[in-house]
Amino acid sequence: MNILTQLSDKISHHFEKGKPLYCFYALYDAIDTFLLTPSEVTSGGSHIRDAVDMKRIMITVMIALCPALFFGMWNIGVQHFLSLGENATFWRCFGYGFLKWLPLVMVTYFSGLTIEVIFAQHRGHQVAEGFFVTGFLIPMIMPPDVPLWIVAIATAFSVLFAKEVFGGTGYNFLNPALIARAFVFFAYPSVISGDAVWISESADAVSGATPLALVMNDATAQMPSFLDMFIGTIPGCIGETSKICIIIGAILLLYTQVASWRIMLSVVVGGWITGTLFHAAGMCPITGWQHLLMGGFLFGAVFMATDPVTATHTQAGKWIYGLLIGILAIVIRVINKGYPEGMMLAILLMNIFAPLIDYCIVKIKIRKRKINISKHKILL
Amino acid sequence: MDFHIRKGVDIRLAGTAKEEIQNFASSRFLICPTDFRWLKPRLLIAPGSSVNVGTPLFCSKEDERIVIVSPVQGEVMEVIRGNHRAIEAIVIQADSSPITFANVSFPEPTNSSEIAELLISNGLWPFLRQRPFATIPTPDTRPKALFVSCFDSAPLAPNFGILLKGKEEYFHEGIRRLHQLVGKDCPVHLCLPKGRSNQLFESVEEVKLHYFDGPHPAGNVGTQIHRIAPIDKGETIWFIHPQDVATIGRFFLTHELSFEKRIALTGPCAENPCYYTFPYGTDLSALLNCETTNAQVRKISGNVLTGNQLTKYNTLRFYDTQLTLLPEGGERKLLGWLLPNFKKWSLSHTFLSWLFQHHIFAHNTSLQGGRRNFVMTDVYEKVFPFEILPLQLMKACLTEDIEQMEELGIYEVDDEDFALCEVVCPSKMECQKIIREGLYKIKMENQA
Repeated sequence: MNILTQLSDKISHHFEKGKPLYCFYALYDAIDTFLLTPSEVTSGGSHIRDAVDMKRIMITVMIALCPALFFGMWNIGVQHFLSLGENATFWRCFGYGFLKWLPLVMVTYFSGLTIEVIFAQHRGHQVAEGFFVTGFLIPMIMPPDVPLWIVAIATAFSVLFAKEVFGGTGYNFLNPALIARAFVFFAYPSVISGDAVWISESADAVSGATPLALVMNDATAQMPSFLDMFIGTIPGCIGETSKICIIIGAILLLYTQVASWRIMLSVVVGGWITGTLFHAAGMCPITGWQHLLMGGFLFGAVFMATDPVTATHTQAGKWIYGLLIGILAIVIRVINKGYPEGMMLAILLMNIFAPLIDYCIVKIKIRKRKINISKHKILL
Repeated sequence: MDFHIRKGVDIRLAGTAKEEIQNFASSRFLICPTDFRWLKPRLLIAPGSSVNVGTPLFCSKEDERIVIVSPVQGEVMEVIRGNHRAIEAIVIQADSSPITFANVSFPEPTNSSEIAELLISNGLWPFLRQRPFATIPTPDTRPKALFVSCFDSAPLAPNFGILLKGKEEYFHEGIRRLHQLVGKDCPVHLCLPKGRSNQLFESVEEVKLHYFDGPHPAGNVGTQIHRIAPIDKGETIWFIHPQDVATIGRFFLTHELSFEKRIALTGPCAENPCYYTFPYGTDLSALLNCETTNAQVRKISGNVLTGNQLTKYNTLRFYDTQLTLLPEGGERKLLGWLLPNFKKWSLSHTFLSWLFQHHIFAHNTSLQGGRRNFVMTDVYEKVFPFEILPLQLMKACLTEDIEQMEELGIYEVDDEDFALCEVVCPSKMECQKIIREGLYKIKMENQA
């Protein structure tokens, strides 16, 4: 460690303003603070600070994503070999999935981080950690065989137009990972919809329809069991299939208080109630809780809806925001057969409405404050 | 009335002051106009002039009646000026055994304006501060209430029982006089810690007693005002430190004008943390030199949350009763953001150390991360016991949205109320600075 510190001390001045390597300052700083905690001390204000920083928070989210990711890698292999009718060992399945995932994540990080670093350098900021999670999420919500160039373009589009044009992490109002997915969904629908894309390099004769697509096409008889859906051995995006792994991630996020429990709970409640109502009305063959186990609902509720920047910022607003996501996701699923999965669109739509919800909550708070003050005046 | 503060945190540090009072004397005194928020000083003395205890040194340009006086008899050696010729400090050289009190004769005041006149002319008026803005109040105005917070909940805060030891009578007289000053219709609120011995304060007559329990900032006057008498636009509330009440009481009871105060020397780097008595403005270089052998120590006037770092002038600020010596940080750790760490203090559950909040952690001045934009939204509410939206208020301050700031309740808060928000902020925002600048903006707007 001393060697690293000494090396950092030795070379850091080359990257200062006015020096020839200044154009690489943001990159140098990102690598430097990745390896070693920053040496900056407090100046004015509070002299001591909490040990938590954005890196710590982002790494916690990434750790929470790992169970779903590892399961997803294995599942890609399982689905692939199953479609070919071959028997494969655990490691063969996992290795196959890993090799599918690795290029995706590399392309995502390369494409996104290049833009992030250029913008940070241009603005004279440090590289924000937000993209580490975004870049981790994007491959997890893509089908396994999505062409790499599409991923690169989608990532670049989302980083540029969902985040950097608004000022970077903290200023974006749309979830960048979902924008990348939405970009692929609308620009290249053939690679992310239909029955053929959810199993990697499957045999032509095998239908890779996801359970959700089967339900929407009134083919419930072909559906896998709900236990399979809960465990996750079904076709789908890399990260979304295993509900149990997502729940493990959710527990970690809730324990560390990184994600808002209000949002998670209200999304689930909203989805469950709406699903139950549709089922009772005879519009959907599956019940509320079965909806929760299908598609990307749970993944969206745990990892996407809880993005603190794009969600509502007030505590009361989080309840409304979450409930509406849950309701909208199921409404889109059931009513619009063209879009079997409504979670992505529901979250993006509510991202747009989040500032409006906050605006209303703030106004209500202001009114309550006025009433409170006048009450105190009467008491005095 | 009892109030329970749920949101907040007590940060534990090593170096609590022992219950032992020592004297410290220095013949050099430094009076800094920057101790008084937004006060524009007009110098009333010149270098070389001799001063007594109570001789006005400078006044406020906005209201020349508000004067800051000399705490000691001696000679003005120098007026140190900084950028744009702003007065940084007035250096007074006293005799080797400084005379730090003066006898003042005055007829017994009978009404509020006479008391105000005495406080103003003898330099005792600046002990009073007003909310909003935490500035010295204008002598003609009267508040809607006067608050005295009789405990401090900040890290390593001094024990008020020791600060006021031997001054009980003065404190009672001070409260009586202040009550006379603000008028019968204006309540005087004494806020006490629940479950502790409050005999000294409970025996005061004609005041309203309130009991607070819970973590810091339960002892902050802002928290107490918010619970008891929230401030609306156009209203003011005065507040004063109990020790300053005693100083005022001593003046009226014995006709002695003295700016002596008791302070606590605290902090992990203090070799002998205990209480000291000396007049305001005393140059503490000698004390600090013998206390800190290590150069990597930050000297803070005040507590670690809101205090001012002493760099050029080693003197305690006018309103501070605590000196904290904290080790400087900045040590670089390999992958510090990744490893599970039990040794670093954090309120965030991402570190396992949050389970050991009762432990004394080795705090230092490290920023513990890089500065980022606002990202997390639920962190401030956990340590901010106000019915105010902290994030939205800070954003309103940053965007200079005066109307929104007013509506969200900027008049009720001061930068010290956001100290804990600043501590726990994962984006390492300077919350106190944001609020202070917002307050300044709104003050200027109101004056225009």
